[in-house]
Amino acid sequence: MMRKHIFIAVAVFLVTLSSCDKWLDVKPYDKISQGELLSSEQGYMKLLNGIYIELNSSMLYGGAMSVEMIEIMGGAYVIGTDNSVWGNYADLAGYEYGTDYWRARMNETWNKAYSLILNCNLLLENLESTSVRFTGDNYKVIKGEALALRAMLHFDMLRLFGPVYSRNPEMMSIPYYKKYSVVPNEPLPASEVAAEITHDLHEARILLANDPVRTSGIMSSAPADGSSTFMYYRNLRLNYYAVTALLARSGLYFGDNEAAYRYSTEVIEAAQTGIFPFVDKSLVSGSPEDPDRIFSSEIIFGLTHSQRNKLFKDYFDPSRIPNYVFRMDNGLMSDLIYGGGATTGGSQDDFRYRVNWVATGANKYFYKYSDMVDTGSITNTLIPMIRLGEMYLIAAESRSQDIEAGVSYVNQLRSARGVSSLQSLSRKTLQYEYIRELYGEGQLFFMYKRMFSPVLFTSSDNKNPQPSDAIFVVPLPSSETDN
Amino acid sequence: MKSLDRLLIILSSFLIFASAAYAQEDFVVLSGKVVDSADGYPLIGVSVSVAGTRQGTVTDLDGLYELKVPKQQCEVLFSYVGYDDKVIAYNLKNASAFSKVVMFTNVTQLADVVVTGVYERKKESFTGASATFKTDELKAVGTSNILQSLSTLDPSFKMMESSQFGSNPNVMPDIEIRGKTSVAGLKEEYGTDPNQPLFILDGFETSLETIMNLNMNRVASVTILKDAASTAIYGSKASNGVVVIETKAPARGRLQLSYKGDYGISLADLSDYNLMNSKEKLEFETLAGVYKDNSGDPFAQIRLDDLRNKRLLEIERGVDTYWLSEPIRPGFTHKHNIYAEGGEDKIRYGIGLSLGNVDGVMENSGRHTLEGNVDLIYRTGKFQFSNKLSINWLDVSNPTVSFAEYAYANPYYRKYEADGSISKYLYYPEEGVDDYPVSNPLWNAHLNNWDTATGFGFTNNFIFEWFATKALRLRAKFGLTKQDDDEQTRLSPQHSQFDDMGETEKGLYTHTQIKEMIYEGDVAVTFGKLLADKHMVNAVGGFNFSNNHRQIYGYSAVGFTDDQFDAPSFANSYPSGGSPNYNESLKRAASFYLNGGYAYAERYLLDFNYRLDGASMFGTGNRFRNTWSVGAGWNIHKEPFMASSDFFSLFKLRGSVGNPGNQNFSAYQAFSTYKFNGWMTNVFGTGVILNALGNAGLSWQETTNYDLGMDLTFWGERINATFDYYWKYTDPLLAVITTPGSMGVTSVAMNAGSQKTRGWEATLRISPVYKPSEGIIWNISLNATSSRSEYADIGNSFSALNESGKASLVGTTRYYDGGSPTAIWAVRSAGIDPATGKELFIKKDGTYSFTYDVNDEVVVGDMQPKVEGLLGTSLYFKGLSIGCYLRYRWGGQVFNSSLFQKVENIGTQEIYNNQDKRALYDRWSENNREAYFKGISLVQRTEKSSRFVMDDNSLIGESFNIGYEFPDRIVRRMRLGALNVQLTSSDIFRATSVRVERGIDYPFARTVTMSLGITF
Repeated sequence: MMRKHIFIAVAVFLVTLSSCDKWLDVKPYDKISQGELLSSEQGYMKLLNGIYIELNSSMLYGGAMSVEMIEIMGGAYVIGTDNSVWGNYADLAGYEYGTDYWRARMNETWNKAYSLILNCNLLLENLESTSVRFTGDNYKVIKGEALALRAMLHFDMLRLFGPVYSRNPEMMSIPYYKKYSVVPNEPLPASEVAAEITHDLHEARILLANDPVRTSGIMSSAPADGSSTFMYYRNLRLNYYAVTALLARSGLYFGDNEAAYRYSTEVIEAAQTGIFPFVDKSLVSGSPEDPDRIFSSEIIFGLTHSQRNKLFKDYFDPSRIPNYVFRMDNGLMSDLIYGGGATTGGSQDDFRYRVNWVATGANKYFYKYSDMVDTGSITNTLIPMIRLGEMYLIAAESRSQDIEAGVSYVNQLRSARGVSSLQSLSRKTLQYEYIRELYGEGQLFFMYKRMFSPVLFTSSDNKNPQPSDAIFVVPLPSSETDN
Repeated sequence: MKSLDRLLIILSSFLIFASAAYAQEDFVVLSGKVVDSADGYPLIGVSVSVAGTRQGTVTDLDGLYELKVPKQQCEVLFSYVGYDDKVIAYNLKNASAFSKVVMFTNVTQLADVVVTGVYERKKESFTGASATFKTDELKAVGTSNILQSLSTLDPSFKMMESSQFGSNPNVMPDIEIRGKTSVAGLKEEYGTDPNQPLFILDGFETSLETIMNLNMNRVASVTILKDAASTAIYGSKASNGVVVIETKAPARGRLQLSYKGDYGISLADLSDYNLMNSKEKLEFETLAGVYKDNSGDPFAQIRLDDLRNKRLLEIERGVDTYWLSEPIRPGFTHKHNIYAEGGEDKIRYGIGLSLGNVDGVMENSGRHTLEGNVDLIYRTGKFQFSNKLSINWLDVSNPTVSFAEYAYANPYYRKYEADGSISKYLYYPEEGVDDYPVSNPLWNAHLNNWDTATGFGFTNNFIFEWFATKALRLRAKFGLTKQDDDEQTRLSPQHSQFDDMGETEKGLYTHTQIKEMIYEGDVAVTFGKLLADKHMVNAVGGFNFSNNHRQIYGYSAVGFTDDQFDAPSFANSYPSGGSPNYNESLKRAASFYLNGGYAYAERYLLDFNYRLDGASMFGTGNRFRNTWSVGAGWNIHKEPFMASSDFFSLFKLRGSVGNPGNQNFSAYQAFSTYKFNGWMTNVFGTGVILNALGNAGLSWQETTNYDLGMDLTFWGERINATFDYYWKYTDPLLAVITTPGSMGVTSVAMNAGSQKTRGWEATLRISPVYKPSEGIIWNISLNATSSRSEYADIGNSFSALNESGKASLVGTTRYYDGGSPTAIWAVRSAGIDPATGKELFIKKDGTYSFTYDVNDEVVVGDMQPKVEGLLGTSLYFKGLSIGCYLRYRWGGQVFNSSLFQKVENIGTQEIYNNQDKRALYDRWSENNREAYFKGISLVQRTEKSSRFVMDDNSLIGESFNIGYEFPDRIVRRMRLGALNVQLTSSDIFRATSVRVERGIDYPFARTVTMSLGITF
């Protein structure tokens, strides 16, 4: 009798308890709860897109990591000394990373990159255990892109804050976050981070094996029937070739020339089948009315930034004078980059010179980010992250120990730029080619750091900063070391 | 089974015998009236029976009964739920003894009962640490609000004085019972004070604001529950202690009307301000070099000389403006409460109306409340239904110019122009001069600016009780609260804040609407029975659930063109880039609880509590939490060996342990939430990213609480003492921790470290004269409390807070293992070197240095006093009562920010403001080498050092009162039921060992109140 009562009491208790649990599971209304968001395929797509959109932040590739901070460190611009005009830029051009301002800026970039890594990890972890049914290849594509995003962000933080890899691969660098955690991860030696990056990129590449970009190209227009654009505009996503290109880029950085060559040539071959054609010459040669300055068809992966013209207006537009304007040192331009004849490979016939550099007064100004006439065009929103030209340069550099052997790849690229072939290739001439091809795209600093060579601010070697850890290794943000 | 059979046989044979007896004998009819012992009011439905028979009846609506009894000796039993059974023996002659039967309630008197809000227990048999105060006691020491009075009466209940907000009637105080259990800084993060105790009003959880608004005259009693044995029944909300407030229940009888009124006046207390007069300020400025040009431009020096001469001329003309008097006024307060009550035994009713008009000591500062309440109690047989409804309305206004701005204004400026107008600037630099204009606080104050709020809400609490048997009771409660608040502020376009803005952007209007809906339900079964005359068993078991939904809507508008016309419709637009504000939180909790008490022969006591709490704020991994407590007590005065003497009327030892928790935290901290990245969309549509990272593994903060106590009453109730020693161990602490950026978020709610607190509190009351029968009592009371806390196992979790504290101008709180939350950290100072005028610091290793190094910081003081408490005396002589309560604090330190910021550290910005007189005197110079302060300089930065840490010992005249209860004969002649008057004053004087400016944004006040109570 008593037993029965106890049994009933316990049963009632348990039933109430479990219904309580449900009742206590409160979903916020003024915010999007994780459970609600990630209960459908669309939720995952929105989160993935959110990460791509945030890459446009001015702390990352919408400024600091593309045209501003990183390019100044890469010696791309003439930085004046007048503080009222140039503000804190002179400190950065002198590699004074310890100032309050630049510490804060570096911290900001670091935090933003890792906050997006956290978003990737939340997406990946939820994807792992989700019961949502995905259509077609979407699961693989979402997972592959998120892995690639995570690897790319870690790679750029390693390139910025890590050691000069070619010299100190075992040095402590940055933490690699493979999952969401409320406990901080410890920094790892650079080589371990490199292994993680390569691992993630490999996995992403396998997951993206059926990426439609391999068969149908980038599909740079929305489907006519108004259906989902998720599998379109593949050049705005980390597609199969973008991941392959990242493997080429990271392979070269990590000293794995074999991989760099293999992956870069794979992308080049695919590009040659028409997936990433060289820019239409009619748009860049002669004096085109509306040049495609960003060489949009060659972008393997780019961001789409709805106010990209701000980059031009905020940094490069000569009408900003007397405020600061970013431009190349005149001597560097006339002596080495777009002058100097056969020794440098510099020529004013270069399409890259003709369409991207416009004279105002005695100086030439950089117009890569100025808009095309067709205001609605997606071209006007592009910020290049990886372009085809870099693949030719990587192939050239990684083909063999002897840099000479790569001259043919440089010449293939040069012929597409309307300039004559180089007789021979040296590290110097290769660097000039990098500057011509990737100027204003945030890659130059990393190139000098990789090669551990002087940073070409000017054409006179004695004025350029000599390679050292002090200039190439940015100290970790204090938020990282203090907590 | 066998015994039952036997019983049945005996019973039935007895019945047969009885009926046979009736058949033979005559009957007698006994009749009379049954009344309540307390008020003589007739009791309806009392069962009256002949003991041992089924012969019985019930009393009618007038309490009358008639009972047929056999004409033989027998016993008549009167029984009624809630009353002690009464048995009267009938011996054939004493029929008159039945004409008036008086019954006594079995509920012991209020003072002897601990009301926990869930159950009531006789104080004598309760093992928890608690204190109960009745409304008269509360009113005797103060009339402003219940909490203020509680802090005067109980040492463990502290109302933290806010140096920032002073006596502002619209700022809710921070309240602590037995110190803090949570890390500071969470209030800023979450808006709720994690150290705030739980408030229970008539059995339902309520807010601090409701308690502050509650008219004291409606209150019947307040109980403070302090230790685990008394609070654990509230489980995971109880670690900060519980305050249980019961409002008056209507008394039965014919309609009775009572009026209670308080009429007060408050005056600002500016005695802590020590500002320069105009002469001193100009001299200070001259010494500081304000009128000395450094640019080498001869015209500049001429201009500065000219400026100084102009000011000097004004001073010669007698200009010495006392700005502090400008925004203040005598604040009048009047509160009224009318209550009509009555009814008979079945239905009782009470209808009340309370009005509270509190005007603060600053202009435009007021808090006006109006509250209506209806109390109904309906009782039928074994059932009782009671309902309390209260409807409240609130109207609040705040000054729009802070008191600090008046304290900043220099005394050599005139308030008004010659024509009596107010100019916008006290000083406006000439064209081309690189100088800031000085705005006139009176200008912004005279504009049509406002900061107001209104609120409207109601609370309905319904309680159903079923007295199943004398021992068993079922109670179901449901409470509903709806509160809507509406806050509006407006700044005139002519406000100096908008000087640099475009014409269409001047002026600002903001509107915030807060909607809150709370419901709470509770079902409980209560059992209480004395078994075999020795074993007292009490038990309560129940289920509780609550739902708290809060929404905040807000928007602002800009661009007013006119000062006078202030309707929002005159705004030009919304602020550019502004979006509407919407915030919502939904908190739910569900709990099971169980309480048991056992007392053997009233000597050995045992209590236990268990509660299972679930709350929506906590992650799915940790949704439920157990709270338990055990208490034991020993009533030594009941022991047989003490029985011979009645010297001790109470001598109890008690102890308890338990682990109440804390859930004063934000609603969604366990969950990851996402938001749209609204700044951009792309060809793929919209995007979503993380908004806040939740910590699903977050553990509840819990405090293991130990208490040892002793209660003593002896020498014919003349000496009354309570002593408690306690230690609390909060583990884990819950805090928002700054994280490495690589985690992807910069802070996350985490469990980190623990905190230990040890303390004691003592209350002693001696009555040198104790003649209650003659109405003469003289009491002297002394209470004291002391506690010390320290952090443990926090490691580096708070390094970011420590770093920012080190870097900040005045922050002296640090978080280190073994450190106290109230410790003052600074570098030790050896004073000012007479030779150089530089400050000499003592490094960590004891060596001296002129160089300040923040890493030499050590503990140089503690804000927590060593002992703090009240010394009071009260005298009752017939109807007259006089009381006097002094608060003392001893052994604490304070970082004197007035010296730090208004004597030294006056920079080129601060020199525009008026400063402390001491900035001019005792400064180092070639002629005054033995000075306490550095030389006058506008560029020298002074660092936080022990030089500014001072002993803070104080004695405060917290409450003085005198009251008179008119004797019955006078009252009756006036045709009244009762009449009393009382005069109370609060904070009338204050003697401290340190002089610091208090009441920065709003001054403190001294208050005198007259109270009147009339019952018709």
